[in-house]
Amino acid sequence: MKIWSTEHVFSYPWETVIKAAMRKYPNPMNPSVVGVDVLDRSLDTEGRLHSHRLLSTEWGLPGIVRAILGNTQTRTYVKEHSIVDPGEKKMELCSTNITLTNLVSVDERLVYRPHPDNPEVTILTQEAIITVKGVSLSSYLEGMMARRMSANARKGWDAIEWIIQNSERENLPLCDVG
Amino acid sequence: MNSVGEACTELKREYDQCFNRWFAESFLKGERGGEPCGDSFKRYQLCVQRAIREKDIPVDGVDFMGPNKDKPES
Repeated sequence: MKIWSTEHVFSYPWETVIKAAMRKYPNPMNPSVVGVDVLDRSLDTEGRLHSHRLLSTEWGLPGIVRAILGNTQTRTYVKEHSIVDPGEKKMELCSTNITLTNLVSVDERLVYRPHPDNPEVTILTQEAIITVKGVSLSSYLEGMMARRMSANARKGWDAIEWIIQNSERENLPLCDVG
Repeated sequence: MNSVGEACTELKREYDQCFNRWFAESFLKGERGGEPCGDSFKRYQLCVQRAIREKDIPVDGVDFMGPNKDKPES
């Protein structure tokens, strides 16, 4: 098991970052996410928005690893549960893979909050627990996955910035008018 | 962005547009209302649920947020 965590600061207010986070895909930085579906969405009694989503991803394990593991499947499904609390200004997102679970589990948690001293800035804290099942390859694979988490986290931040810049610049209506 | 079901992508696009507008223009501004975009969500869901069954994707039986009284029924 490997635990990984990081923190990132966005130079935008919480609302701007959250809007981008909710519509993060598609973006050029995360081409491995090939599909996103909402499975369930509802407001709870405290006015928080819960979303359960299914992400279709191409993990693209290296060929040598696939060969050793005898795994030819590259499409992996990830389930994600997010809670947006507009009162407290907090968005929490947890995700886990629901296929390839016999091989590996990646549980990730992200929290977006305004900076306590500066409302124009948003802090993202991000942590993941990576567990590779089996013995011989575990530590090698867990290290590889952890390095990939770091690379992907950076892509995720870039993606949020990209969404913000594109939506702010174009400022197009979401629906066709007329 | 595509849906898991190729046939659902257009329904998803319709729902996403409705939801994104509600999220930005109502929800984040503190307006409280009923379920957003109910009709387009229902149409989209029927399609997605069929695709999930056909592809045998194990979306049920994973409760990774742990016990949570507030968790809505899915």
